[in-house]
Amino acid sequence: MIKIKAKDVDVFYGKKQALFNISLDIEENQVTALIGPSGCGKSTFLRCLNRMNDVIDICSVKGKILINDFNINDKSCDVVRLREKIGMVFQKPNPFPKTLYENVSYGPTIHGMAQSKQEMDEIVETSLKKAALWKEVKDRLHEPGTGLSGGQQQRLCIARAISVRPEVILMDEPCSALDPIATAQIEELIDELKKEHTIIIVTHSMAQAARVSQHTGFFHLGQLIEHGSTDKIFKNPDNTKTQDYITGRFG
Amino acid sequence: MTEAPHTVKSYEEELKNLNANIIKMGSACEEALGKAIQAITTRNSDFAEAVINDDEKIDKYEALIEQQVVNLIALRQPMAIDLRETVTALKMSSDLERIGDLSKNISKRTLLLNENLPKNLVDALNRVSASVQKQLKSTLDAYLERSAPMAVNVWEGDEQIDDLTNLCMQEVIKYLKENEKNLDDGTHLLFVTKNVERIGDHTTNVAEQIYYLVKGEYLEGDRPKGTEPIVSGEK
Repeated sequence: MIKIKAKDVDVFYGKKQALFNISLDIEENQVTALIGPSGCGKSTFLRCLNRMNDVIDICSVKGKILINDFNINDKSCDVVRLREKIGMVFQKPNPFPKTLYENVSYGPTIHGMAQSKQEMDEIVETSLKKAALWKEVKDRLHEPGTGLSGGQQQRLCIARAISVRPEVILMDEPCSALDPIATAQIEELIDELKKEHTIIIVTHSMAQAARVSQHTGFFHLGQLIEHGSTDKIFKNPDNTKTQDYITGRFG
Repeated sequence: MTEAPHTVKSYEEELKNLNANIIKMGSACEEALGKAIQAITTRNSDFAEAVINDDEKIDKYEALIEQQVVNLIALRQPMAIDLRETVTALKMSSDLERIGDLSKNISKRTLLLNENLPKNLVDALNRVSASVQKQLKSTLDAYLERSAPMAVNVWEGDEQIDDLTNLCMQEVIKYLKENEKNLDDGTHLLFVTKNVERIGDHTTNVAEQIYYLVKGEYLEGDRPKGTEPIVSGEK
């Protein structure tokens, strides 16, 4: 089933066009990887999906992005509610300078998701368990989140993202600052999370895209060159540019 | 799809090297088969011995190619066309090695055969062998030119080899029935004929791999087959 439908999306930074006529369907409860060289527009596209580009003054977005058949670029869209439904994890782990507990409970608190301390405790525990971090931190929930290792911090950020029960999780190079073991833990987590969430991941690692995703889109110079099943893209892509990029023949 | 060179030159070199070794191994097999057939049909023991001795060279190519493939997978993690080149090379080398072994086996039997074989038998063997040699040459050309249509031609030609094999088998069986003294030579000739047919099968396997290499998809449908074989065997 299609969860997100991008249709004819153009993005401009001032007069400079960053994305050209992007149309892409994202399948529900699957992982879609966006790949392409630096500056190709994949992160810009990712940020369109929860209207993160709104915070950039000179950025304007045209075209439709339908999530559950609702156009999120419509004026009636409540952006705070949208970002509750579309969580995001960034390249560099960015826990709040607060305790582990507060990091995870922050979202549910501002969205009024818990009626009691006990309910909030449950949300924090469930989120940390889903992020595969609970066992490691259950005895130090009131210590600063910034005291964790890089991989743990990133899992904390994932716990924070999933605490508000988003339908979609956007990941912008979530493992680029992590060692191979922490990367494997995040990849295992992505596999688990896709059962309940739709995941879109931007990555520079071809191997990671091949490992974690079921669908892959290749961006180049602001255009979506090719998209399809990950299996097809990495074994037998249709487009020469895609093949040149994934085999290391670019530029 | 025409490929641009890799950004990493050493990777480009490694793939070119692998490709070159497959071509060399293929040529060595072509030569082995040619000499093995010439040895048996012209009763040339020198050629037969050369094929037996040179088989080691073909085995070494297989070991080298396997090593190169393992290194490429471990160190380069090839994708798309590079992945297909790598995997195909491994499978091709395995089939080519078998072609070398079967040519060697033909040559070993050649050394045991009586000097005078009936002309009709030699002619029947020549016909099926010429067809297999042509198939092997076309297959190696298909690899050189990365041509899927050429690979398909080889694949479809396997049917003719089956038919020629059966005709040859019939001649050998007739020869066996003629005289009890023909038993040794006749048995060797049955194996030789079967070996030639098996070489044809391995050649067709290689053609299938070339198709996959070029197209990224497998040849669909059953391999064309000729008349039912007289001597049952693996197809």
